[in-house]
Amino acid sequence: MLRIKGGKVYDPVHGQAGVVRDVCIADGRIVENVSGGRVIDARGMVVLPGGVDIHTHIAGAAINFAREMIPEDHRRAVALVRTPARRAGIGGVAPSTFATGYMYASMGWTTIFEAAVPVLTAKHTHEELHDTPIVDKGCYLLIGNNEIVLDLLEAEDYERARHVVAWLLWAAKAYGLKAVNPGGVAAWKWGQNVRGLFEPVPGYQRVTPARIITALAQIAEDLRLPHPLHLHCNQLGLPGNFATTLETMKILEGRRAHLAHLQFHAYGGDDWTTFRSEAPRIAEYLNDHPNLTADAGAVLFGDTVTVTADGPWQYLLYRLTGHKWGNMDIENETGCGIVPYAYRQRNLVNAVQWAVGLELLLLVRDPWRIFLTTDHPNGGAFWRYPEVIRLLMDADYRRERLKALPPKALSRISLPDIDREYSLSEIVIITSAGPARALGLSHKGHLGVGADADIVIYDEDPDPGRMFARPRYVIKGGEVVVEDGEVRQTVLGREFVVRPNYDEAIEAFLQPLFEHYYTVSFANYPVELERVHPVEVRSLGE
Amino acid sequence: MGGKPACTLGEVKNRADLIIYWGGNPAECHPRHFTRYTLTPKGKFTPNGRKDRTMVLVDIRETPSTRAADVFLQVRPGRDFEVLTALRALIKGQPVDPDRLASTGLTLDQLRDLAERMKRARFGVIFFGMGLTMTRGKYMNSSAVLTLAAELNAFTKFIAMPMRGHGNVTGADTVLRWTTGYPFGVCFNRGYPRYNPGEFSTIDLLVRGDVDAVLVVGADPAATMPQPAIEHLKRVPTIVLDPKVSTTMRIARVGILTAATGISAGGTVYRMDEVPIPLRPALRSPYPTDEEVLRRIRQTLAARSSG
Repeated sequence: MLRIKGGKVYDPVHGQAGVVRDVCIADGRIVENVSGGRVIDARGMVVLPGGVDIHTHIAGAAINFAREMIPEDHRRAVALVRTPARRAGIGGVAPSTFATGYMYASMGWTTIFEAAVPVLTAKHTHEELHDTPIVDKGCYLLIGNNEIVLDLLEAEDYERARHVVAWLLWAAKAYGLKAVNPGGVAAWKWGQNVRGLFEPVPGYQRVTPARIITALAQIAEDLRLPHPLHLHCNQLGLPGNFATTLETMKILEGRRAHLAHLQFHAYGGDDWTTFRSEAPRIAEYLNDHPNLTADAGAVLFGDTVTVTADGPWQYLLYRLTGHKWGNMDIENETGCGIVPYAYRQRNLVNAVQWAVGLELLLLVRDPWRIFLTTDHPNGGAFWRYPEVIRLLMDADYRRERLKALPPKALSRISLPDIDREYSLSEIVIITSAGPARALGLSHKGHLGVGADADIVIYDEDPDPGRMFARPRYVIKGGEVVVEDGEVRQTVLGREFVVRPNYDEAIEAFLQPLFEHYYTVSFANYPVELERVHPVEVRSLGE
Repeated sequence: MGGKPACTLGEVKNRADLIIYWGGNPAECHPRHFTRYTLTPKGKFTPNGRKDRTMVLVDIRETPSTRAADVFLQVRPGRDFEVLTALRALIKGQPVDPDRLASTGLTLDQLRDLAERMKRARFGVIFFGMGLTMTRGKYMNSSAVLTLAAELNAFTKFIAMPMRGHGNVTGADTVLRWTTGYPFGVCFNRGYPRYNPGEFSTIDLLVRGDVDAVLVVGADPAATMPQPAIEHLKRVPTIVLDPKVSTTMRIARVGILTAATGISAGGTVYRMDEVPIPLRPALRSPYPTDEEVLRRIRQTLAARSSG
């Protein structure tokens, strides 16, 4: 039992902004009242629900490939020396798994979602998620380039595609569906990409990116998934891609979808020299369409490593930069590319990217529909979130930072004209309450009775960057895991998995195809439920 | 710089029409490779199996794998780097001096033919073995072959993968990477992981006598390592866990027989392409598993240090 006494509570779900009250905890949940137990004197402190990261790359074959590619970053990274409370590890832009759990928790984030998992290597992902302590977690299944699904869409057999998707989702022990450059990664298997939303994917007559997107968004709705289709749009990173992003939002026609790392999809211009922000047009569309949510995928200047299933984009980035290039195509399902990258303040394109992330966060009016991410590690490492928070809360600081951009960049962005400053409540929404709602996690993101006792307590500080970087206490599932920014004890987080309904007979359809296309046996393909622990399975009704 | 253009083996099965083995003898060392993944299987886009594929073998001598090859290129020992570099030039249309190729044992025509096959392929793959990675040039050879494959992507789809073998070496590498960031040669003596091949890799530590105890799990270093390393294994307390009495176990202070993984112990093995495969034991063993022995050692040590 635990009582957090006298802190200023920010709980937007319950309309509380700085209400001084006690928060009581028993058995890992928030309760009305407790008598006895530890008391944390939180006077002069702010009390918030723990952070929820809706899109990050922290576990599985792709990020582990990135770790392999960047020993030079590990060497300059923060080293985590072992203590009685925690294991050793390394930080940096692709931290080791244990370090990832400690670093998220030390910042006050208590729930995180790995955004890209193939079924074929999902066992590996779950092993890494298990080794990512403290935080609760889940993962999204990569489905937008699954050739068995694409072949069914080619045959216009939507019904069977839905059963196959449901079967695959459960096979992967995932929480949601993710589509990355739909059709484009399948084309990359022959070294190609897709053009536009309405041209057929190479190798198909009828299947277009548009068809894949609408079918998967519909399947997510039909299966009643708690989180809608999680969509990495086509043409990521390219000048002028905002048009594709707008088209994508239009073809959804009211179906729910979450647009991942929207910053990378909001560019104008015809080439790299005319590159510009089109964030206002993207934000305007989003403002008018409540079926859509998005995360920012904000960019911060400095070194990082890019990790994505978008194989053709990563090849282009390798050709553009001449940096190291890792590629891993996963049979019949998806791809993966790794390129180390540095965002430079003096580079026109990078400066525009930096502004676009902030513009989206500031121009989307409803904080319940845009969430703070850096698409870790693509736009910057997750442990740099406090830097973004400061930029959102402090317009003077933003103006100061704008002075360091190349003068040419200022005419390509609208950030200099934006005066909005986030309130602390709005920060809580974009970092916790909003993503929890978009994920359908009703017990996260708030401090009402019955919620998971995932709570972060900060010393109030006029500099929000400093405040968010070092919580005074972090409580996970009712246990005090961090004090004064240091991990004091390690708890195991649990994994969220959904079990959708599907016709069991779909296995009889899948098995012969599988044996023809794959190189592992059908029985060895699904992730065994015992491998995922502790786990919370949500069965979805018909 | 190059990188690592790779794929899972099913992509090769379904798509590859040009298979190149370089510095390896898969017929004997990876006997299922031809039939499960590369040559004979009929894949999604290779409906005729072997007929849809061309196999090239580059090696220093004829081996049982030669018989499977459509093209055999016999390179002089230690000259792989030169051949790879010449191929990189040829695919870009740069001039190559035929006289300077003489030392490689291959002719310009042979290399031109190979470069053309590579560029014409729909989906090409190079599997490279220890004949490339552990001979003159070592990691420079690996870098050259990976760069060649990366650069070929300007013309067609091309992949390069190491022919890793021997038990679950890929699994050890994978787990070490997610726990420490590094694949091997990791030192914890400062309380956090540090990596430096040559300093912290096993043979170097043993030869220099830097370690005062050794725990060997599922490996047989005394059968393969240089003599000074073996001498050090004999000098210090060496503990070996193995399903059989290995060469190392014979010279060890302590040997513990364990259940054979994949036969009488379960677990997960990572295939050479890093695809995890669950193992289900078919038989029961009278011996404990490696995991159980290690857990009991750790528990005993923890009890002693707290008591």
